[in-house]
Amino acid sequence: MPASLPELIAALPHEEESEEPGQPGLSDALERVAMRPVPVGRFRRLRLLGTLQAQIAVAYLFHWLRGWFKSADENKRLLAETHWRTALRVLNSMSYLRGAVMKAGQMLANFPDIAPRAFVETLERLHFDAPPMHWSLLREMVHNELGDDPENVFAEFDKRAFAAASLGQVHRARLQTGEQVAVKIQYPGIARTIREDFRNLFPFLLPARLSNDWENTKDQFEDLRLRIEAETDYVQEAANLEKVRALFREEDGIVVPRVYREFSTARVLTMDWIDGVHMDDYLARNPSQEERNEFARKMLRAWYRILFTGRMLYADFHPGNFLFLPDGRLGLIDFGFMLHYEGEEWEIMRRMDRALTTGRRDDRIAAIKEWSNTTDEEPERIRLMEEFADWCWRSRYCGGEFDFGDEADFRRGVDLFTEMVRKRYSRARPSTPTVSRHQFGWRSIYYRLKAKIDVRPICEEEVKATGWDRSEYAA
Amino acid sequence: MRITAQAKSETRHRILEVAADLFRTKGFESTTTRDVAQAAGIATGTLFNYFATKETIVTELAAEALARARKQFEKAEPSETFEEALFALVAIELRQLRPSRKYIAPMLETALSPLAAGQRNEPGEELRVRHLEMVVSLAHSHGFGELSPVALQLYWTLYTGALAFWAKDRSPKQEDTLALLDESLAMFAAWLADSANETKRSNGSNNTE
Repeated sequence: MPASLPELIAALPHEEESEEPGQPGLSDALERVAMRPVPVGRFRRLRLLGTLQAQIAVAYLFHWLRGWFKSADENKRLLAETHWRTALRVLNSMSYLRGAVMKAGQMLANFPDIAPRAFVETLERLHFDAPPMHWSLLREMVHNELGDDPENVFAEFDKRAFAAASLGQVHRARLQTGEQVAVKIQYPGIARTIREDFRNLFPFLLPARLSNDWENTKDQFEDLRLRIEAETDYVQEAANLEKVRALFREEDGIVVPRVYREFSTARVLTMDWIDGVHMDDYLARNPSQEERNEFARKMLRAWYRILFTGRMLYADFHPGNFLFLPDGRLGLIDFGFMLHYEGEEWEIMRRMDRALTTGRRDDRIAAIKEWSNTTDEEPERIRLMEEFADWCWRSRYCGGEFDFGDEADFRRGVDLFTEMVRKRYSRARPSTPTVSRHQFGWRSIYYRLKAKIDVRPICEEEVKATGWDRSEYAA
Repeated sequence: MRITAQAKSETRHRILEVAADLFRTKGFESTTTRDVAQAAGIATGTLFNYFATKETIVTELAAEALARARKQFEKAEPSETFEEALFALVAIELRQLRPSRKYIAPMLETALSPLAAGQRNEPGEELRVRHLEMVVSLAHSHGFGELSPVALQLYWTLYTGALAFWAKDRSPKQEDTLALLDESLAMFAAWLADSANETKRSNGSNNTE
């Protein structure tokens, strides 16, 4: 059952008496924020984002963590709660957090049991409503990073941001050489602070070893922490963009913006402007079934090209990261969050591919056992995971037109996943939360597009292009 | 022999120039007034005719930088909001002060500190007045009335706090100062707007009584 906010507040670890005088207790503060409408002033909103909203995110996290300690002995539970109190205090000291709250929300979105839809949606809204940098601050950032004022560096620079990015905002501009560009600018110091704070926070969230599953959860958190670091690094994002851009040709109809290195730093990322609309605006025009299918095919091709040729996973399969161009091309933006498969990781992906391709139950079970380190001694676990894998992979191995707009089917996947979370079957490779996020990301986009497409031939084409011979699967 | 006003001004200028160089290269602490006098080609005693202490030299250097900043600010496009205008003013000042960042901290502590009231040296007091006059005029042009002494004191505390932070900021390109300044000035502007509304409201209710 998703917990209600008052329940979560009641479940929070108690604050110690040494709390600063004059500061309301955390539970009071949470209660007040639950009762009151969110004020709209810039300053007040900043404060809220800085502490209370973040604490709500953490309240959910604690709620989830606590579940692990239900059957633990008293000492272990007390130890864990002491650590959580420290974590709370660390969190209280983070005064910025407008980027991190969203990151925490995205992280929690992988656990629907504790992150009901309303919660995730609230966090998303907070992200897009984040207070903007005004022009004077922006100028200083550009001056700091690119060595001169925006009006001297660029031929034109739109003072109004056209979009919020997770750590800052995006402005439209024109280079002296004429190219239209999008300039993404980070709020000063935010990435560095997020990285440092999460480095401080995580050890306190992960205090004890209780079971195999728990130990594995720690690895998954650690993996998330590393991803947060990657995602807050524009230099890494620029490298990802260049790597992916090189994978596509004009005839693919898939556009990846070019990075302008001379106008990019760790805090500023300048890339081609792509003239397209987001999914909501696209769907509002009532595009035909075939048009929607074509965009769905392009998304799939992009995903498989990046995976099979680029050996990366475009993990952020999120509507905000796709642009629908009027001429039918698909734009991919935002490459902060990519999984890179190397060495053993790639070999595991190759072994998973067998199960995805043959559709044989035995192959599926073998893949699950390897992915989540499970043996025949846990039949219920294997049953559930096999069913979930079948839901994830069916469209691919069955071939033929698959109706992604089928609500009952979509719901089945969510239910299976929720059941796994409730049973605390979290033991799996560290990248599992990311892979799940990707899985639900693309399925919910296809669900909203009501796409009806055949997945298999696109996949086969992309595999074939890499020269990978899979004839052994026939055996 | 009488020294002309022009020669005096030239010497003064030379002292400031060589002092800035020495502070930058040798550090403020390890530079003595003798070093400065020597580099300027004058006797140490003569130096004291121009500047009583090393701190006064720094304050004077800062005053010149801030005067340049003010001129630039007056030429720049006006900002949309009060908070942004304040940010632009301080940002221009910081750009001008940047070459002297490493040795400016002692000056901030002695000349500008809100705690040094009553014992301020003259150039420090002048810096304070000049800056606050600017703030008052910005407040005016953004629709705030007169700033109360409390408002001015609050602003001055935030401002000197940000400068002190900046002097020791070790983040890349002192970006943390920008964030601090953004938050501080947003807080100040919000507080000011709130108290202005409060006054209006209480005036309004008085009228209905």
